[in-house]
Amino acid sequence: MRAVWWAARAAVRRRRLQTLVIALVTLTSTAAMVVALGLVDAASAPFDKAFGKQRGPHVIAAFDPAKVSDAQLTQAAGRSGTEAAGPFAQATVELPDGTMNFGLGREITVAGRADPGGPVDRLEVWAGRWATRPGEIVLNRDPDWTADDLGKKVRVPSGRSLTVVGFAFDLSRTADAWVAPAQIGALHPTVTQMLFRFPDASSEERLRMQSDAATEGLPADALTASRSYLTLKDQVSSSARAYTPYLMAFGILGIAVAVLIIGNVVSGAVISGFRHIGVLKALGFTPGQVVAVYLTMISVPAVLGCALGTVLGNVLARPFFGFVFTGPDAGVFHDDVSVAPWVNAVALLGVPAVCVLAALAPAVRARRLSAAQAISAGSAPRAGRALGIQRRLAGSRLPRSVSLGMGLPFARPGRSALTLAAVLLGVTTVTFATGLATTMNRFGNAGRDAYQVTVYASNFKDGKEIKPAHGDRELQSLLRSLPSAREVTARSNTDVRVAGSAHKVELEGRRGDRLQLDSVLTEGRWTRGTGEIVAGSAFLRQNGLRVGDHLRLERGDRSQKAVVVGEYMESDARRIVADWPTMTALSPQEKPIAYHVKLRDGADPAAYARAARAADPGISPSPQGPNSVTQTIIGSASVLTLMLALVAALGVFNTVVLNTRDRRRDLGMLKSIGMTPRQVTVMTVTSMAVLGAIGSLLGIPLGMAGYDLVVPRMADAVDISLPSYMTDVWQALSLTGLALAGVAIAVLGAYVPARRAARLTIAEVLHNE
Amino acid sequence: MVTEDSRGEAVVRLDGVRKEYGETTALDGVSLEIRPGEAVAVMGPSGCGKSTLLNMIAGLDRPTGGTVVVHGENVGELSEKGLALYRRRRIGMIFQFFNLVDDLSALDNVALAAQLTGSPARQARRRALELFDELGIADRRNAYPAVLSGGERQRVAVARALMNRPALLLADEPTGALDSRSGEQVMDLLLDLNQIGQTLILVTHDEHLARRCASRLVEFTDGRVTGEHTLEPSA
Repeated sequence: MRAVWWAARAAVRRRRLQTLVIALVTLTSTAAMVVALGLVDAASAPFDKAFGKQRGPHVIAAFDPAKVSDAQLTQAAGRSGTEAAGPFAQATVELPDGTMNFGLGREITVAGRADPGGPVDRLEVWAGRWATRPGEIVLNRDPDWTADDLGKKVRVPSGRSLTVVGFAFDLSRTADAWVAPAQIGALHPTVTQMLFRFPDASSEERLRMQSDAATEGLPADALTASRSYLTLKDQVSSSARAYTPYLMAFGILGIAVAVLIIGNVVSGAVISGFRHIGVLKALGFTPGQVVAVYLTMISVPAVLGCALGTVLGNVLARPFFGFVFTGPDAGVFHDDVSVAPWVNAVALLGVPAVCVLAALAPAVRARRLSAAQAISAGSAPRAGRALGIQRRLAGSRLPRSVSLGMGLPFARPGRSALTLAAVLLGVTTVTFATGLATTMNRFGNAGRDAYQVTVYASNFKDGKEIKPAHGDRELQSLLRSLPSAREVTARSNTDVRVAGSAHKVELEGRRGDRLQLDSVLTEGRWTRGTGEIVAGSAFLRQNGLRVGDHLRLERGDRSQKAVVVGEYMESDARRIVADWPTMTALSPQEKPIAYHVKLRDGADPAAYARAARAADPGISPSPQGPNSVTQTIIGSASVLTLMLALVAALGVFNTVVLNTRDRRRDLGMLKSIGMTPRQVTVMTVTSMAVLGAIGSLLGIPLGMAGYDLVVPRMADAVDISLPSYMTDVWQALSLTGLALAGVAIAVLGAYVPARRAARLTIAEVLHNE
Repeated sequence: MVTEDSRGEAVVRLDGVRKEYGETTALDGVSLEIRPGEAVAVMGPSGCGKSTLLNMIAGLDRPTGGTVVVHGENVGELSEKGLALYRRRRIGMIFQFFNLVDDLSALDNVALAAQLTGSPARQARRRALELFDELGIADRRNAYPAVLSGGERQRVAVARALMNRPALLLADEPTGALDSRSGEQVMDLLLDLNQIGQTLILVTHDEHLARRCASRLVEFTDGRVTGEHTLEPSA
């Protein structure tokens, strides 16, 4: 073993550049793999992970307290052997108009609950404390909500106001707020809530069976309603699902690139060492010892690179995952965004294993060769390979250094194929990511210039609402008259029903200079008069409607005929948009909740907001902030793209280093007959540029195909129709740029070793040979 | 040492040339002149520095000290590009182990030398074919190095060395890797070339080769010129 270690150590020292490249490739590949696998893991079941962590209820059951007692429910839950929380008395509270509702809406569900823990539905109290006394309330808000609202009052129609003592986040949305059991009675509960968690939650049918078993023996009709977590899962994870196909595609691509490049680099290193293997055998090393030398030689930098790469991957993944998977829409908590332990384990064990496997195949082949054969296999390539190509190139009008370079990849087709595959994957990744980033950029920025300031027609101070000093029309005129204002559009909404459907629909009415606001039309046109509506694809799909169809909207005893004149980009299946008269025909008293102000070019939104606030203290102007999530996703996609491009470039770099080493004798000879350093550089770079060009020609359509495969599914996942301008991302200029990307990766990887080759001392090379 | 040959100005002039590799001295103050049309054989034991001397003249390596002037050009002062152009224009080099490009046919190996200077492929191949005819290997022009015999490979190497009509032909153990029959053929070739005026510097262990092809013998020991003899043409 001592001889093996000695020989391996000497080989590592002698091949410093190669060792460095192996370490760098494994480092970047492992980092990319950790991020990629982490993405795949996190994107595959973001809701399930968060839900499992919170031990969310699979079924939320509502019972009529008049028909079943708490004792009966407790007994039933215990008897069935399932895990359960409750019974909790539940009240529906309508907050008075004009009171602060903390973003929960006017009608909230309040449950009486003694503590946030328990076997099921463990709530995260992220600010303040749990409500333990009458007069206290804890609100269900995600951690992005401001904790400054602690201590504020919630006015309820009956009894005294409740003080907000805490904010808790409940992914399962079992209630909008919680009070102490001693308080709930005052809110007149009408329902008793039970939360069940079953062993098999795989389907609605299984859940129903287990739910029936849990409530067996209870009085008939006691169960008034129940909601499965599968419905919630569908609603809650729609946003994360939008990114899932993209993240999965990115992750799988990243892993493929990493594995391929590692295989390429490691096997290339072993193949290039055949001559050395022959010498070792000639010295008396046994075949097993030779294999051991090479595996040791590869393992040292690989393990080091892998360990550092795992750390780097975790460092890179954290902020990225934080943005993608945080918040209730994504279905994951803010503290649950790290890379899964199994991902680190796979990276730490898998990458060295890939390296060893990649090294093993050629090492075993070398093991079987005799010393003389190994030495001969390590010299220049045998005759007969792609010689026709060389002959044709030799007779071409190209400069000889270029034609020689173009022929080099054909001399070692195996290694060239591996390098080509690396470039191909790199270009595919760059193409895919570029297209996706363009779409996401357009998606994120769609309608961003429609307005710069949103002015809410109310303000709150110390929990009390301050009404605007101006009336509706007067306020709109005031906002229009302030300096820098160019357009003002008022907006409000009201709940209506589509005739024939039991579901409520949110009708948004708009009035003013720009009725379309930031909405992006995907089909048809925008409304031009009363009785016309525009709807999102989700609404149209769920109601079986198309542009041009007629429907009747109802509210109370009023109704309004409407025709769908356009489809716009909107994932909320409950929302439709019309002009102001259409909305007020159904709800005459409706007042704008906000005014959207478009400013003149170059105007300062913050200055406008200050001016508006000064003009009327009863309004809340809010300048539009940057679209940070979209920007982060785009930024992260760019980082991942660059990272994979770097891995691909390193793979190419390694190939060129090894090719250059293999061809030292040829290079020395070519220089001896008058090839200039520049010609050597041109020849070596050309040889890789050829692979880069072929990689681009194949990688671009592959990347485009990947885009066409993923992006429509991504949009479908959230019921969004993307307008064509968002998906028409391939322009001649960008395609040319992408084609050059492949060549650039290859040239970048080739340039340094090419320069090195150009500086070879001829006498030394020829002497050594 | 300067010969008494008076056929013209020296083609090669070495003055106090030193070459050191770390602590090892390969050339230790070598001074030598070679005149046009001369055939000089450099002989000496292994490791005495004779190949290093050839490398200095060929511009394959740079001296640590002293000057190497070939055709009025101080080789040691040339840039890398200048050296490459110098090798193209002035030098033809023949190696013991041929140093042919395995991926190229014999014809393309030879034509390559001209193509690197910018000659069109057709013109380069035409010139290469002329040389193949002259060297008697025209029927092997499309063969690849791997299928050529040692003698054929060395003839291809000679053709390549002559491709750009060099002022100086340098041969480093040209028969060292050949059987005796092939070696004889190559010796005849070199002799013929010298007889038509090609200046030749030959590094060899083989005294028979030296006496057959050279008009002057330079003895080399431990990086120094230790003797010099004019040789009578062999029968």
